[in-house]
Amino acid sequence: MPTSRNPSVETWGRRGPEVVRRNVEAVDSALANLHEVTVPDEVTANRRRPPTVPEDAPDFVQKVTRLLMEGQGDKLPVSAFPIDGTWPTGTSQYEKRSIAQDIPIWESDLCVQCNFCAMICPHTAIVSKVFEPEAGKGAPDTFEAVPETHTPELVGLDYRIQVAPEDCTGCGLCVEVCPAKDRTQPKRKAINMRPLEDHREAEASNLAFLRSVPDVPRERIPRDFKSLPLLIPLFEYSGACAGCGETPYIRLLTQLLGDRLLLANATGCTSIYGGNLPTTPYTVNADGRGPTWNNSLFEDAAELGLGMRMGLNKLVGRARQLLEDMKSNLPAALYRDLTGPCATLDETAMAARREAVGRLRDWLADQQGPEVNELASLADELCPKSVWVIGGDGWAYDIGYGGLDHALASGQNLKLLVLDTEVYSNTGGQQSKATPMGAVAKFAAAGKETRKKDLGLLAMSYGHVYVAQIAMQSHSNQASKALQEAENYDGPALIIAHSPCIAHGYDLLHSPAQQKRAVDSWAWPLYRFDPRRTPEGLPPLQLDSVRQKVPMKAYMQEEARFRMLELRDPQRYEQLAAAASDAANEQRELYMQLAGIHFEPHERLNNPDTGAEHHD
Amino acid sequence: MTDLTTQWLGLNLCSPLVVGASPLTDDLDALKACVDAGAGAVVMHSLFEEQLVAEQMAAHRFIDSRINTDAEARSFFPESDVFAMGSSSYLKRLEQLQSSLDVPVIASLNGISPGGWTQHARELEEAGASAIELNLYDLATDPSDTAITLEQRQLKVVRSVVQQVSIPVSVKLSPFYSALPSFVAGLEAAGAHGLVLFNRFYQPDMDLDELELSREVVLSTNAELPVRLHAMAMLFNRTGLEMAASGGVHTGDDAAKAILSGATVVQVVSALLAEGPSALARITDEMTQRLSAMGYTSLVEARGALSLDNAPNARTWERLNYARLLQGWQSMR
Repeated sequence: MPTSRNPSVETWGRRGPEVVRRNVEAVDSALANLHEVTVPDEVTANRRRPPTVPEDAPDFVQKVTRLLMEGQGDKLPVSAFPIDGTWPTGTSQYEKRSIAQDIPIWESDLCVQCNFCAMICPHTAIVSKVFEPEAGKGAPDTFEAVPETHTPELVGLDYRIQVAPEDCTGCGLCVEVCPAKDRTQPKRKAINMRPLEDHREAEASNLAFLRSVPDVPRERIPRDFKSLPLLIPLFEYSGACAGCGETPYIRLLTQLLGDRLLLANATGCTSIYGGNLPTTPYTVNADGRGPTWNNSLFEDAAELGLGMRMGLNKLVGRARQLLEDMKSNLPAALYRDLTGPCATLDETAMAARREAVGRLRDWLADQQGPEVNELASLADELCPKSVWVIGGDGWAYDIGYGGLDHALASGQNLKLLVLDTEVYSNTGGQQSKATPMGAVAKFAAAGKETRKKDLGLLAMSYGHVYVAQIAMQSHSNQASKALQEAENYDGPALIIAHSPCIAHGYDLLHSPAQQKRAVDSWAWPLYRFDPRRTPEGLPPLQLDSVRQKVPMKAYMQEEARFRMLELRDPQRYEQLAAAASDAANEQRELYMQLAGIHFEPHERLNNPDTGAEHHD
Repeated sequence: MTDLTTQWLGLNLCSPLVVGASPLTDDLDALKACVDAGAGAVVMHSLFEEQLVAEQMAAHRFIDSRINTDAEARSFFPESDVFAMGSSSYLKRLEQLQSSLDVPVIASLNGISPGGWTQHARELEEAGASAIELNLYDLATDPSDTAITLEQRQLKVVRSVVQQVSIPVSVKLSPFYSALPSFVAGLEAAGAHGLVLFNRFYQPDMDLDELELSREVVLSTNAELPVRLHAMAMLFNRTGLEMAASGGVHTGDDAAKAILSGATVVQVVSALLAEGPSALARITDEMTQRLSAMGYTSLVEARGALSLDNAPNARTWERLNYARLLQGWQSMR
C-alpha cells in the first residue's frame, strides 16, 4: 500500500485513492518491465534521420525556418531575417509533427458529402475538395474520389475527403460529427479513426497530390454552410491544442474571404498559434495570395485594425483620385471595370476586378510621369479588402474593451471577431468579464459570482453595429450566415463566437454536444442584430435561440469548471446555478422584447452616401 | 387498525414503507415531507464505485494532466487541494440527512469489484449510516465468465463490505439469477442481514432515427411487481434474511401484496417521483385500510401469508408455464 511518503500520494492524494492506485501501478509496472538495452560499440543502423523540412521546401524555409525548428536559431545572422518585420506565411505545412496515434480514414461508400468533418476540424487536417475529374488523373493508387452528388451546382465534379496524416492531432471531432453510418454496423461511419502508422505514407502522398489539384473557380462553390468547407482554407496546421474551439472560426473566415483578408490580431492564443514562429499557419492560394496578418499588442488590436482600415481608406482614396485624374486618357471600359461595384464576397466581381487591375498595370507601363508611377504602386488597392480584428475574451471584454468600443463607435467598415473561451486561456485560465457565473477560474477560485458581461448588448446600443453571437461547433449554419452578413454590412460588426477550450475541463470530443447544451440552456443564446433591418420597419435583433430547451444545470454539470464548485461547496454551487438560470431568463425576456420591437419603415437620415463602391 | 411498526435489519421502523434509493436523496424538503407522510426509513441513492473512479479520473485527466504541459501557462485551473473528488460530498449529505430526519437513514453502495472501494462502507458507517444497502450488479458479457465465477465474485464483495462495518448490510439484487435461493443462502453465509428485491435499471432503448442506443429514466408501473412478489414468496421461510420489496409499488394494495408474499419492508420510489411525497401518505392509508379490513392486527401476522409455504393454492407460484396453467384451469373445473 502506498504510504504518505510515497511521491504518488503526495502528488495525487488530493484526487483520491483510485488516482493514487493507478499511478503506483504505473510506476510498479514500469519498474517490473525494465530491460537492459545493449549499446553497440559502433553505429549499426542504416537509416538516416529524415530531414527536418522536406527537400522541396522553399529556400527561406530551408535556410532559416529549418534552423529555427531545429533549435539552432542562434546560428542565424541578423541578415537572414526580413528587414521590415514581415515574415513569410504558408510555412506550417513544412512542420510535420505526426502527433496523432489514430487519424480519420474516409469510407467513400458511406459518405454523404456534408463536409461537417472539414467544417469542425481545428487544424484543417481533414479537408473536402471538389475538382475536375480530369485533374484526378495520375493520382496515387490509394487516391479515391467519388462523383459529387449532393450539390446541384457542383455536378460533374469529383469529390474527396483527405486527411493530413502528419498534421492531424487525433482529436476525433471529425468522426464525432460525421452523420453517416453503415446500416448493418452503425459504429462504422464515413470516417473512422485508424492507426496512423497503417495509413501515414499513403495518405501523405494522397495529400500531396490533392494539394496539387487545381481548385475550381471560387464562384462555383455555393455559400451555404454545407458547401463552404469546399472553399480553399488559407489557415492550416496551427499549433493550437487538440480539439481547439477557436481555430475553426478563423479557418472558415479565410475560406470565405480568401486573399482579401487583413487581420489585426490581439495577443493571446490566437496570436500564439496564428503567428508562432518559426512557422505560420496562414497560407496562400494557388496565385500566391493569402491573408495578411498583423499582431501588435494584447490591448490594442481593435485600434490596430481601425488604423489598418483608415490607412487602407487613404490608399484607396488616393488610387481613385489618380484614376479620376487619368480618366480622360484611360480606355473607357477599363475605367468602368475599375470603378463599378465590387463587394468582397462577390467572387465574380472580385475576379473581374483583379483582371482589370492587371490591364491597368499593362496600360500604365506605356505611360510616363510621377502620377503613373504612383498609381502603379497603388493599383492593388483598387481590389477591395476586408479588415478583421481577432482576439479572445480577455482582449475584447477586459483589456482591449476601450479600444473595441472606440472601433465600433468609429462607424468604420471594420469587423471584430471575439473567440470567447470565457477565460484568459493562453495564460492559464484567469477569469475575465466573459467568465460565466458559477465557473471556477483563477481569481475566481470559489466560483464567479457575477454575471457574464453582455458584450453583444453593449454593442447593439450603438444602433449602427452589426452584432451576432454564434456557436459553429453545433450551429454552423447560423455561424456561416452571421459571418457573411457581417462581411456584407458596410460598417462595424462584432461577432462573439463560443469557443470550447481545455480550460473548461471536459473532453473536447464532446464539444459539439456540450456547445449545444450551452445554446439550449441559454447560457449561450444565438442571435443576429442587423441595423439594415431597422429602416425596413423590422426589429434589428433576430433571435436564433428562442426557447430554453434544457435546464442551466444540464449544461453546467458537464464541465469541470462548474463541477469543481459543486464538489467543493454544493450550497454555493446551487445558489450560483440558480442565479445563472435567473440571469438567463432575464436576458431571454429582454431579448425577446427587443426582437419584437416594431419600427415604422423609414429612411436613415444619417446614412452617409458611400457611393456605388462598398467594402474597400 | 393494523400496527405498522416493524423491525428491519434490527432497526425499529414506524412503518414498513421506506423511501427507496433515488434522486430524492438530493431533495431534503421532499424527504422531510415523506417522513412527515409516514415513511419508516430513507435509503440514499448509491455511492457508485464506477462514479467515484470516473470522477477522480476525470479530474486527473482534465485538470492535472494539463499541468506543466504548456510553455505559456503552468495550469488551466486554480490550485485545487481542497476539492473533494471522492466520497466526501456523499458523506456530507448523509450526515445532513441523519441530523435532519427522524427516521433511520440507510446509505447505499454500488460496485462490482472486490477492491479498495469497499473501504467506503466504513466511511458510511462513521458518517452515521443506520445500515448499508449494497447494490450488486454485474453484467456478464464474456463467454468465459460462468455464473459460478460471477456469483462468487459478488459474494466476495459482500464479505468484504460486511467485514468493514458493524452496522447491518442488506444486499440489493437484480432479478436475473438462475438459482436464487442458493445464491441467497450464500449471501446469508457471507454475513448479509437483508435482501432488497429487485433492482430496476436504466433500460437502454433504441433511437431508430439516429440508429444508436439511448438511455432514459422510465418510472416503474405495478406491472413490475409480480416478479418481486414471486421471488419473495419463494424465499419466505427458506432464508433467514429479511426481505424488502423494491420496484412496482404504487398503491396500498401493491404494498399489501408485497407484505403477504413475505416482505418486511416495502420501498417506494416511482410513485413519489411521479406524485410527490403525498403519495406516501396515500399508500400508507390504502395499505392500512386494506390490512385492517382483512383483520390483521400486526404486520407479522400478514407477512408471508400468501407465500409458497402458506398460500392455499401455492402451486400457482410454481406453475408459471403457459401450457401447465391451461392444464390447471381444466382440472379446476
